[in-house]
Amino acid sequence: MSDVVSTAGSPEPSPASSLRTTERLFSTLEGVFHEEVFFLILSVFIGIFSGLAVVCFRLAIDWMHLALLGPLPQTHSWRLFAVPSLAGLVVAVLVLHVFPTIRGSGVNQTKAALYIFNGFIPFRTAVGKFICAAIAIGSGQSLGPEDPSLQIGASIASALGRQLEISREKLRLMAPVGAAAGLAAAFNAPISAVLFVIEEVIGRWSAGILGSVVLSAVSSVVIVRWFLGSEPLFRIPVTTFKRPTELIAYAVLGIVGGLASVAFAKSIGYLRPLLKALPRWTQYFQPALAGLLIGLIAFLGAPQIMGAGYDSMDQAMHGQYAWKVLAILAVLKIAATTVSFVSGTPGGMFAPTLFIGAMLGGAVGDIERIFFPHLTGSTGTYVLVGMGVLFAGFLRVPMTSVFMVLEVSGNYEIIVPVIVANTFSYLVSRGLQNVPIFDLLTRQDGLILPSLEEEREEAILRVEDAMLPVPGTILRAEDYVDANARRIQDSTDATFLVRMHPSGWGTITREQLQRLFQEGKGELTLGSVLPPQTVPSLYPDLPLDSALRYVNNYALVPVVNRADYLHLEGVISRDSVFQKYGARSNRD
Amino acid sequence: MSWRLPKLVPRSAPIILLVLTLAAVTGFAAVGHLVARYNANQQSRGRKLYALGLTAAGAGRYDDAIAAFRAALTCDPANSQYQLSLARALRDSNDPRRLDEAESYLIALWQRAPQDAAVNLALARVAAHRGSIEDATRYYHNAMYGVWNSDPDSNRSRARIELIQFLLKKGAPASAESELMALSTSLPPDPPAHLEAAQLFTQAQDYSGALTQYREVLHLDPSNSSALAGAGEAAYNSGNYATAQHDLQAAVNADSQNANARQLLATTDLILRNNPFRSHISDVERNRRIAAAFAQAEKRLTECAQQTGLNLNATGVSPASPLATLQSRWMTTKPELDRLRSPAETDLPDTIMDVVFQIEQQTASVCGPPQGMDLALFLISQKREAAIQ
Repeated sequence: MSDVVSTAGSPEPSPASSLRTTERLFSTLEGVFHEEVFFLILSVFIGIFSGLAVVCFRLAIDWMHLALLGPLPQTHSWRLFAVPSLAGLVVAVLVLHVFPTIRGSGVNQTKAALYIFNGFIPFRTAVGKFICAAIAIGSGQSLGPEDPSLQIGASIASALGRQLEISREKLRLMAPVGAAAGLAAAFNAPISAVLFVIEEVIGRWSAGILGSVVLSAVSSVVIVRWFLGSEPLFRIPVTTFKRPTELIAYAVLGIVGGLASVAFAKSIGYLRPLLKALPRWTQYFQPALAGLLIGLIAFLGAPQIMGAGYDSMDQAMHGQYAWKVLAILAVLKIAATTVSFVSGTPGGMFAPTLFIGAMLGGAVGDIERIFFPHLTGSTGTYVLVGMGVLFAGFLRVPMTSVFMVLEVSGNYEIIVPVIVANTFSYLVSRGLQNVPIFDLLTRQDGLILPSLEEEREEAILRVEDAMLPVPGTILRAEDYVDANARRIQDSTDATFLVRMHPSGWGTITREQLQRLFQEGKGELTLGSVLPPQTVPSLYPDLPLDSALRYVNNYALVPVVNRADYLHLEGVISRDSVFQKYGARSNRD
Repeated sequence: MSWRLPKLVPRSAPIILLVLTLAAVTGFAAVGHLVARYNANQQSRGRKLYALGLTAAGAGRYDDAIAAFRAALTCDPANSQYQLSLARALRDSNDPRRLDEAESYLIALWQRAPQDAAVNLALARVAAHRGSIEDATRYYHNAMYGVWNSDPDSNRSRARIELIQFLLKKGAPASAESELMALSTSLPPDPPAHLEAAQLFTQAQDYSGALTQYREVLHLDPSNSSALAGAGEAAYNSGNYATAQHDLQAAVNADSQNANARQLLATTDLILRNNPFRSHISDVERNRRIAAAFAQAEKRLTECAQQTGLNLNATGVSPASPLATLQSRWMTTKPELDRLRSPAETDLPDTIMDVVFQIEQQTASVCGPPQGMDLALFLISQKREAAIQ
């Protein structure tokens, strides 16, 4: 008996046929994963990788803080000023010699990658930002981890896009997708992250990228919650809003917050170019001096201003500080964050902005309650609203500011106070400082990037703005050619609109009509001799840009009513459109 | 600088996604390992800080305890034990501003485990600090009916006793009394427990409830001098002077140093010897007691008038003065004493004693608490009024 089993009845597939099957499978899958679908799936992976990176980043900051400053809060200890100073020296050396592209918050760099560098952010930026921001924030510099997380996410996404050799158009969008993932992971707040990226990084609403941004933000938040839990940044106290008249109190908070935002932005805008203009050797010492100053403030009794300050915000939210302390902490934090940021230390401004807003909100709320004891809003409510106020006034992201407060608090009861206060803050800030802080920083760096705020303020020209009145002579397609020819005798126009029931509108020139008449076609209806295609119609509310694609081909373009396409509202011509654009550019 | 993977495989979408998935899984595992190690270190650090906090809290150094508990929580933010301890330290630090934060921690814990009796008890104490009867009562009840990790019966009784003490302190004796009723039905056969319940009944001015509890104590420990004195005092306060005399005598016999019991016993003796409305006394004895009370009332009235600088015998005394009015009534009633012997005068004892009682009550309000025989008459008047009502 043979040990060999015959396989004649069921032949084993040969290696060549297996390869062909695999190739066919891959070929089928290739068809499924066309570029749009592939980009969406890639967004999920960007979220996962960014989330993993941000988890490590947060651990690194915590570890650094424990290693450098210890687990218990220090009071009157030499560590308070020695640690941030020495860490500042280390960071300065790393920034100047190893990671030169990581100064500042990272929001502008991500925006520049989108608009100037075709989505290119070196991977070294992610590494450098991770290391230096962890050292800086962990050692107590008055900066936050959110903006660096945003840049780390953007850098990872950019590197991945380049590695996968995706199209330039998609590569350009990788940075904001990664930015949303990084920010969402840092804040544990996907909606705010998506809105911020749209408001501040992309600069305009774009349906094409929204899906990817949302997917990456959500997946990164899932990762962070998986590893670090779903504990919110703060323990939210009971927040109340009972009487509409109390909105006045929140409006006052908005105005004060707007003024503080302007002071904060102007101090950064003034000091940053001054420090950058100093000789290069001073840049080795600028972060160290900033650290020394912050350490001294902490040593003298305000250690709350060190680092991101989330614990202190939490305590302020629960009424742990009197209004004087809150006000002092707000002022000191503005000073500390200004020196940290302008010194070129890598780190973000989100957390300090929240801190200043929280302290200011608590102080204003407490003062208001001294004069008006009937106010029902708790200190926690004012602290929470104050956070949004500074976000709206300083970062100038009004939508994000509202959703950020709602998402962080999980409480929709305070939506009205938040909207009122944020609106006042935004208006005051915009009134006193034309250029938002991120635009100011990019302009100081010699770059001009688009801004959603400017876009919002720019009046859009519409078709109705260039529209001419309805012409005196309108021809009818169902009339005979000779009747129409008689009708134009009193007119001086060169081109006439023809109402063509039911298809729409056509045009005919005076010469064309006269030629038809001379050719003996006077007894025919005008519709029967005109070409069948009609002139495209426009609606009055359409952007004037949409008229540009027609005015070159048609001497007259009818502007019709949306309810009745045969009802003429007016006409536009190439001259009327160009005249309108010319008037706008002269005015600008 | 740009890093790029070598092109080992063709760049097709499925392969890319496969590679990305593998990379994500690897990253997940690596970060998971890192986080696990970090968490282990943090938890170890948290335990040390927590121990420091407990030591500080035990020594009454609440600021240090709060700092340590906060630091422990940064190491292990979800640890409910740390949160509970921090909340307790915040609450006990006697800083009203910290109550909000304590409450916030406790509310978060409560939302996670609303059945946790320890959390509910802590919340009840916060509400008690704030003086909110409604919230405190709700949380104390939650604690009573919640889940205790150890010794549930004793802890439930303690929670109820705490609630009763809080209600009494806030001046809500009716609510306290209903809690006391519930407490009295669930007490173990333990003299100290019944003694504590009796004292709470006394604070709630439910003397009959107190007497019942003291009787329970005496049933379990007949020689308990505190229970004897308490029972006597409860009986005395409820106007049951015969019982009071018996218990107070036993209390004095058991502890001759008990001055309060001796004083109460002396007053009780006076009441029992001088109460004209006491049953089983002869008419002669009743009339004697009425006459003695009437004379004592006049004496008290005169002394009180002198104390207030009023000469009741002088002319021109304002008839609107309450003491003068009472003296006038006393003088008018005095001739009636002789008619007490007549069996037809059934209402006369009440009429005469009414004058006595009015004098004792009025002088008590004008000249302060009475002593001796006057105190006895005053208490008899109160008992009589209560009986009539």
